[in-house]
Amino acid sequence: MELGIFTIGDVTTDPTNGTTVSENQRIKNTVEIAKKAEEVGLDVFATGQHHNPPFVAPANPPVLLANIAAQTKRLHLSTATTLITTTDPVRIAEDYAYAQHLSEGRISLVMGRGNTGPVYPWFGKDIRSGIPLAVENYNLLYRLWREKNIDWEGKFRTPLNGFTVTPTPLDDVPPFVWHGSIRSPEIAEQAAYYGDGYFHNNIFWPVSHTARMVQLYRQRYEYYGHGAAHQAIVGLGGQVFMRKNSQDAVKEFRPYFDNAPVYGHGPSLEDFSTQTPLTVGSPQQVIERTLSFRDWAGDYQRQLFLIDHAGLPQKTVLEQLDILGEEVVPVLRKEFAKDRPADVPDAPTHESLVIRHREGRDPIPGGGPGSRAYADRQAKAAEKNDTQGADR
Amino acid sequence: MRILSITTSLSEDSTTLKLSNKIIAAATSAAEAAGLSAEADHVNVRNLSSDLTDMALTGFRSENLEAAFAQVAEADVIVTVAPVYKVAPVGLHTLFWQLIDEKALANKPVLIGSTGGTPRHSLAGENVLRPMLSYLKGIVVPTTVFAATDDWGSIEGGRSLNARITQASEELIGLAASLNGVDAGSSAGPADEDADADSASTTTGEFGRRGARRNPSIDNEFNPDLITPFAQLLEG
Repeated sequence: MELGIFTIGDVTTDPTNGTTVSENQRIKNTVEIAKKAEEVGLDVFATGQHHNPPFVAPANPPVLLANIAAQTKRLHLSTATTLITTTDPVRIAEDYAYAQHLSEGRISLVMGRGNTGPVYPWFGKDIRSGIPLAVENYNLLYRLWREKNIDWEGKFRTPLNGFTVTPTPLDDVPPFVWHGSIRSPEIAEQAAYYGDGYFHNNIFWPVSHTARMVQLYRQRYEYYGHGAAHQAIVGLGGQVFMRKNSQDAVKEFRPYFDNAPVYGHGPSLEDFSTQTPLTVGSPQQVIERTLSFRDWAGDYQRQLFLIDHAGLPQKTVLEQLDILGEEVVPVLRKEFAKDRPADVPDAPTHESLVIRHREGRDPIPGGGPGSRAYADRQAKAAEKNDTQGADR
Repeated sequence: MRILSITTSLSEDSTTLKLSNKIIAAATSAAEAAGLSAEADHVNVRNLSSDLTDMALTGFRSENLEAAFAQVAEADVIVTVAPVYKVAPVGLHTLFWQLIDEKALANKPVLIGSTGGTPRHSLAGENVLRPMLSYLKGIVVPTTVFAATDDWGSIEGGRSLNARITQASEELIGLAASLNGVDAGSSAGPADEDADADSASTTTGEFGRRGARRNPSIDNEFNPDLITPFAQLLEG
């Protein structure tokens, strides 16, 4: 189980004192947060990708991730998310492979479509093609990381003739990919098809919905023969704010919640806490809530917390990391390990992926022999032949 | 047959609620007259007001809202009633229909009811709601029911309101019956204020026999057996 944090890199005015940090300061704060995450014993730091204010999450996350990689030793560096719709898959293939080399394989990606309408046309794209873009672009990225001298033609970018990505991925094993989506079943299906991970940000929606997406992914993962449903690779987000006494946490966090980007000026803190996984309270409450995710998501592989947004002062964020590292993460590690079936895989690492690759156990997109998907394809092909035979 | 009213009643015991109840009663008896058993349910959009604005702001649906949307998905016919403010159904009411899933009303007969101070508002439902409900793939019956203050206070007004309610309800039930392959006799015929056993069909066909044809509930979107296979998405 990987435990860590993810950031959207928002530059938000602190509603309690009206101050706004500069972009320069926010960027440096982000690096400090990532280093602190490693220091307190977390496993993952993940950053969003943004092209518009009020965000300074990088437009090209490998820039930030490579910088952090140079200042850390074992922290896993991820995105949450990489915009697979508006970023050229060739550049994703090249830049993340480069960062993967620099970090000795500590890079992974969560693919997302991006829900900010204006961003699409800036890159010559159309938000209405969000799903087809995610489908075509990822398929190209998948091939770029695994084949040389590619000839390729698609709808959304210029064709490639005899193209080979440089650098090729470290040890010929691409970074692990998760596919993130809040409500599009097509993306859960995409993750299952390739045998990749599925990540739900788990912040804005009721768990009843998130559970539905996770179950869909798990069952389709099994259908495509990558493993049993309970062995599929699931990641979840979550949002927490903690103080020793829960009343203090609520009192301190409320103004940030009420004015936060995205959900501010909407639901009350109490409603949001009931209806979504947001937990504002004591470390014990955060532990209990997070452990309850397993009740509806099954045993899973990655848990990321959002802790640094809505204008919270850097000092407060670092305190949150201390609490996570000292009081929350060690308990979560222990408790998540309890009753976890031995055949549930851990979160993939570069090392585990290299072993899998060398043993010839890489997932076969769409399902290899022995999978239900394969059997269905065979049956359909046979049916087609029969019909053609009858026609003759 | 499940009849569901989506009504925005802003005060306790409002005329909107009264109109809604009258239409539900008329639709229920029209169904029974056609030999169909009917059960009616009611959602007051007022009780979802915070949930709706929260969803508009954050995109997330509360469990209450999910439940209401699910009720719509499961209903066979919809009655929607709202007060008219400034020549349009009150925004809270349209917000409900603006936030529900695309195609939420596919194959469902829908009856529009509105209330207002004067008859000058009487086309508000036609102008604003009919296109919105049609966009959601609802089949809106030709007769809409508008009730102004006069309709509640005078004998003539009351009679003509009742006639409109009967007419619209029979259209609603007749359409639902024929969509589901049940012969509802002449119940979809012209208004007949004395409608009773004479015009009632003797068919007791089970409603929803062809239930498979009813619109798929939103849950189907997440059903592993019904999802579009990825290979098909890849082909574009």
